[in-house]
Amino acid sequence: MSKKQDQGTNLLYRLIGEARTYDDVIVMGRGDPDFDTPAHIVAAAKEAMIHHHADHAPPEGLPALREAIAERVKRVNNIDVDPATEVVVTNGGQEALFLMVLAVIAPGDEMIVPEPNYNTYADSLAFAGGVKVEVQTWPNDAFRADPDLVRAAISERSRALLLVSPNNPAASVISPADTAELLDIASENDLMILSDEIYDLFVYDDFVHTSPAALPGGKERTLTLNALSKAYSMTGWRLGWIVGPADLMARVAELKAAISGGASVISQHAGIAALTGPQEPVEMMAEAYRKRRRLVLDALDAMGMKYGLPQGGQFVFADIGFTGLDSAEVAQRMLTEQHVLAYPGSAFSKDRKDYLRMTFLQPEDQLIEGLERMKTAMGSIMAGQ
Amino acid sequence: MSSQNKLGLLKRHEANGDLNRPLPGPMMRHAADLAADEAISPLDERVIAAASEAMEAGQTHYVDVPGIGPLREKIAAYLNESTGSACQAGNIIVTAGQQESRFLTIQKIGELYESIAVPDVVHPGARKALGVRQRQIVSLPADAEGRYLPTLAGLAAAVRGGCRLLYLESPSRLTGAAYSAAEVAEIGKILSDNNAAAIWDQGLAPWVDGACSSLAAQESAPARVAAIGETWPGQGLASWFIAYIAAPEDWAPTMQSQKQIMAICTATASQYAALEAGDLFAEARERQLAQLKRQRDALLDQARSRQLEVCGGGASNIIALKTVGGADGAVDRLRRAGYEAADGAHFGAANVIRLSVGSGTEAALEALS
Repeated sequence: MSKKQDQGTNLLYRLIGEARTYDDVIVMGRGDPDFDTPAHIVAAAKEAMIHHHADHAPPEGLPALREAIAERVKRVNNIDVDPATEVVVTNGGQEALFLMVLAVIAPGDEMIVPEPNYNTYADSLAFAGGVKVEVQTWPNDAFRADPDLVRAAISERSRALLLVSPNNPAASVISPADTAELLDIASENDLMILSDEIYDLFVYDDFVHTSPAALPGGKERTLTLNALSKAYSMTGWRLGWIVGPADLMARVAELKAAISGGASVISQHAGIAALTGPQEPVEMMAEAYRKRRRLVLDALDAMGMKYGLPQGGQFVFADIGFTGLDSAEVAQRMLTEQHVLAYPGSAFSKDRKDYLRMTFLQPEDQLIEGLERMKTAMGSIMAGQ
Repeated sequence: MSSQNKLGLLKRHEANGDLNRPLPGPMMRHAADLAADEAISPLDERVIAAASEAMEAGQTHYVDVPGIGPLREKIAAYLNESTGSACQAGNIIVTAGQQESRFLTIQKIGELYESIAVPDVVHPGARKALGVRQRQIVSLPADAEGRYLPTLAGLAAAVRGGCRLLYLESPSRLTGAAYSAAEVAEIGKILSDNNAAAIWDQGLAPWVDGACSSLAAQESAPARVAAIGETWPGQGLASWFIAYIAAPEDWAPTMQSQKQIMAICTATASQYAALEAGDLFAEARERQLAQLKRQRDALLDQARSRQLEVCGGGASNIIALKTVGGADGAVDRLRRAGYEAADGAHFGAANVIRLSVGSGTEAALEALS
């Protein structure tokens, strides 16, 4: 693989591949919760195999799942949608992300993207022929997407504004006031909003997540993405959704049909069980993440590392600029020398070579061990070894 | 307040005829739904057991982008045995259904070539995949005289005209007509002589009685070919959306990368179900094929006795009929009688309808006549 190819998504997957070769690896990179899917959801999938294996699966998803999604986005996000026309089920949040970008971006169109951001947005934008216009955010401002900077980035070619809250990888949460101001900016400049809310159930301390589509005038110009992967530990089921205004969702449904036709009926029945069944497992996992987050932050504090306080999500985006090395090199050395996988910030943004993304999706004992190894690796790097 | 931005993008999407082409359902909804790509098939309890066991063992997380290793190996072994190709697991990408196979091959292999030649008569999913991001498309004429397959002369003309990538179905997704072994060999020669390549949809090949040659297995004139098809037809997994791409190893990375971008991986439960279904497919295919063939032969007799004109085709799971005055009239007539048929116009053949072979087909023919 050439140096040019060994970046972004390719770099992350190369590191994942290498991590698999170590028996004692501690994975603090990939956003895959360590919890297995709750038992009642697995039971529902097994039941569906017996009774629903041949259900007709339209591209937009099973009606019962779309109803459950509509109920969920009303309950959690305060977004009103018609399940018949304003919901499309997707193969995970990843496909939802890809579809959202394809739905609103034509070649040459600009999308305003607060950085750093999930690497796949750049890939999807490149596929669509769009142009990424970056708005930088920084840890000393808790990675806030500053509305003034967003306004300044708008041009005649601007078509969409991406809002990922809680953010991946920076773990910032857009405040209600900023959400309202960003919606105003989008309305004044006739921009569509792509709102990625996949971590909306994981918001810490007193921070508050607000869906732009829930605000007056928001729904008509907003596509909102979510998925079951993170909240219900269902990454392998590949189930997500987009909600938005009916006229645009009709186009999203056509794109979904063109890209993959539909989503597995078994996953969809599992999804119905997840959304309509007991929510205690989600609470249990959220509580575990709260504790682990504290554990990781305490360890980073002890190491004297700086970071933007994770307001939500399942990550810490830590500054490793003190090493004087590119984050790809630091991540590589941590993996090779200490068998700890963390993601280099450069994979998320070319301007974030000084950062590492670490997840807290491992059991506490693993996290403690991983952080100890990371400390050893950092010591080795600083000693010039 | 109306959004000019939104109105503009809606207008753009609505003007995209390829993108908006209706897609047949993946599996029949009921006995009278004869429009879908696959008939209703029972799901063997061993498949349920295998998928259940995997889920209970914690296989509910992300897996490798190109698919779980054992399934890729099984698909490769099946293709080698059934088509004579020489695949290894590294050649295989497990996809979230046949439409994803179409999309990934058309869009990502398509990026490597200036244009792509597509039959005038082709599964609407191919046109839909092309519609997502417009490419330069070269027409491959296909008509009734040629069994709705592009002629070899037409293929040669396209390649010699500078188009180096062909999208072909054999058997045809509309009629079930397949290229003969000699024709496939000739196509291979045309491609290799002109340094051209092909995407080869062989998804209906298991339902052809006797050998159905694969372009991916031409030893005499090896060409660069990506073969695509369902994993596994007739095993009750159509609504689980699982299929394959078998491609040269140097083509695989670009498609794997795109698969990662748009889906990360294929649903884990579907993959473990398919792993078990692969064994059952090997056991059941001959019996299923014989049964389908008997059904289809009887239906063909019935159709002819009712003066219905049948399109020639070798796949035993479908029947294509020529209609008088356009397929839409026949489709409407069937719908009024309670039956659904696939409209040939969506495939590019306005005077043809396609019916799945099933328990409702005989009554549908009666309604049609």
